[in-house]
Amino acid sequence: MSLPTITRLPSARLLSSLLLHHQHHLLLPSIAPLTVPTRLIHAEYRRPGKPKENLWQKINIDFSKGMKGIKKNFTLLKNEFFDRWVGPEGKPILEHMLEQNRVVWEFRGPESLEHWTLSSDREVGGQSEVYLKLGKNSNTCFLYGTLNCTPPRDGETRYSGYCTMRSKQPLASFDRKKHHDWSSFNTLHLRVRGDGRPWMINLATETYFSHQKDDIYSYFLYTRGGPYWQDVKIPFSKFFLAYRGRIHDTQHPLWVDKVNTIGFTLGDKANGPFQLEIDFIGVCKDYAHTEECAYEMYKRNPEV
Amino acid sequence: MKCARCLLQLQCLTLVGQSARPAAQYGTLLQSASSSQLNVLHKTQHQVLRRFHGSPACAKSRPVRAEVINEDNKKGDGSLVTYDNLFEQVTKEAQTKATFIKVVNVFLKRDVRRRGHVEFIYAALKKMPEFGVERDLEVYNKLLDIFPKEVFVPVNFVQRMFNHYPRQQECGVQILEQMENYGIMPNIETKVLLVQIFGLKGHPMRKYQRIMYWFPKFKHINPFPIPQQLPEDPVDLARLSLTRIANDRDAKVIVYQLPCTDITESGEEVTLPHVIGIQSPSQMELLAKHNPSKPVFVEGPFPLWLRKTCVYYYILRADPTPPEEKIEEPYDPERCFFYPLQLDLDLDRDMGEEESFDVEDLDEGPVFAMCMTSRGDEATLNQWISGLQQNNPILGQVPTLFRLDAGPKELQGAADSESGHDHHQRPDPETQREERQTEKEIVEEELQRRSRGMKQ
Repeated sequence: MSLPTITRLPSARLLSSLLLHHQHHLLLPSIAPLTVPTRLIHAEYRRPGKPKENLWQKINIDFSKGMKGIKKNFTLLKNEFFDRWVGPEGKPILEHMLEQNRVVWEFRGPESLEHWTLSSDREVGGQSEVYLKLGKNSNTCFLYGTLNCTPPRDGETRYSGYCTMRSKQPLASFDRKKHHDWSSFNTLHLRVRGDGRPWMINLATETYFSHQKDDIYSYFLYTRGGPYWQDVKIPFSKFFLAYRGRIHDTQHPLWVDKVNTIGFTLGDKANGPFQLEIDFIGVCKDYAHTEECAYEMYKRNPEV
Repeated sequence: MKCARCLLQLQCLTLVGQSARPAAQYGTLLQSASSSQLNVLHKTQHQVLRRFHGSPACAKSRPVRAEVINEDNKKGDGSLVTYDNLFEQVTKEAQTKATFIKVVNVFLKRDVRRRGHVEFIYAALKKMPEFGVERDLEVYNKLLDIFPKEVFVPVNFVQRMFNHYPRQQECGVQILEQMENYGIMPNIETKVLLVQIFGLKGHPMRKYQRIMYWFPKFKHINPFPIPQQLPEDPVDLARLSLTRIANDRDAKVIVYQLPCTDITESGEEVTLPHVIGIQSPSQMELLAKHNPSKPVFVEGPFPLWLRKTCVYYYILRADPTPPEEKIEEPYDPERCFFYPLQLDLDLDRDMGEEESFDVEDLDEGPVFAMCMTSRGDEATLNQWISGLQQNNPILGQVPTLFRLDAGPKELQGAADSESGHDHHQRPDPETQREERQTEKEIVEEELQRRSRGMKQ
């Protein structure tokens, strides 16, 4: 009498647990791409000692939000469909072929600031602050704040002190990923006004494997300071591949047709206020520049 | 191949060192015939001991201070050894490179086997900025020299395959990383030491190779270089920063007032701040063309960072001319005889598109001059304006407004705490009020003028 009950119980429990597990697996992929595409694949950096967040609390089920989403996504879909008939990216083919300059980001009102995300070392427990607002004539963006290099006292973090502005990933209809296609250009063109601090420009491209998601192409942006604007042209070939602040041993040319985001990072270890004013961020074609990649690719560095 | 050559050199060095050592001993013996014998004994004993895993780099210099060693030995006995202690004992004395190296030598003398060297190196790395040696390559090499030689070099393939002595390798990488963070390029001595300690293919060696690959590439990448040592004199510093931001070879730096301390008749000390301005011919031209009925503004302070110091500058500017008042100046055809300055071609889109931007033409209005001063109140800046008036007579007719509270507020707040040499004072609230009042008045005047103009 007792034996079958014993044997039955675990099996039932096993089954239920299996079922639960299964449900979880079934549910996740169906919801994940629509709401938080990257979070579920890769957990964000969680500070040591910080409690785990419940993902389900963040999800907001609202009818009006749903309607808005439907409207937005279907207009995007319509545009995508009809733009093809005009030409690539909704431009006539002649214009597309003759294009030499393109302004990708400009700042014309408060809604243009929504394309950007800010982050600072607050996320790892630091004390830096970063804010973004429109410039005086509301046609520039003004990034300001204070940098503080004091590392958090958690016993693990060794360095601290960075502030970042990063553009958001462009999305097509139904939150599919879209990429900036700059294959007809070879130079990044910025017009900035800084306060003499060096910045870093980060270009994140689409990657094949998810473990490459922190592979970022970086280059330096030196500002002169003073009341005058400064035109900066950086060829894409100069960007070097780095992973979480460490330069890769093998370098690759940037995938110009699959650029996801652009970012500006400050981390020059000088405590104090900073400011950077950006007029526009664009790309241009420099015919004099033919370099593919500025770093050796024929050998691994350091050689093995 | 280079490494092999280095190793060869190194072996030669060791040979030379070995052959030189006895000679040196004899020398000391001969010399010390007059001095005390004890000291000699002590020295020879030490050298004999140090031959065990000794390196030639270390054998070169060895200042001996017996009292320090004894002290440390006493304190270190019987308790858990914390290597911060060693440094903190010295902090009571002067914190210099000499004392830092002395502490390292004390550690080297303690134990032949260098027990606890990894912890000591970590402690030393942490203390380096305090001693002001964080930019000294020699000190880093000295720290690397603490590692016992040839112990951590993998000898067979199994050791080579796995992470051989991981703690020590991490520590070595940490030294190199700190060098990297301070922008110090390792030299051949560092390489020889690393090869001796960790072998040709250890992680520290890889780190060294990476640094040596990337550092020269990025060495002269800054188009606006700043000297490593900024000038101490505030006047020189202001000169440097003003020429930096003006970005014009023709711009002239004028010192309106040098900093000086006067004692008045009543016995009060009056410190006069320095006032240094810069103006280029094109800016003078712009100012001469300025409509005298429109006011010009003195604005500031704006921050400028030169490496880790922040200085503040003030600018003289005007509001942008409205588009209806802009006069298109015709090109002078005789300005250039070689090619036409104006072309009227009907080309397709993009071919005739303007690729150059006028840097001086700001959206916020033209900038006429810039200045730096140690005291940012209205009286000081007035001095600058009156100095400017000598070269720009138009400033006598143009109303000048002081908008010193302009700009982000947190910049001003930080000005007091941040800059050591630039004591900026906030404008008094009363003067601010006055300014605002004057501004209001002038705005009213303008309005009246405009209305009159409308009537006329």
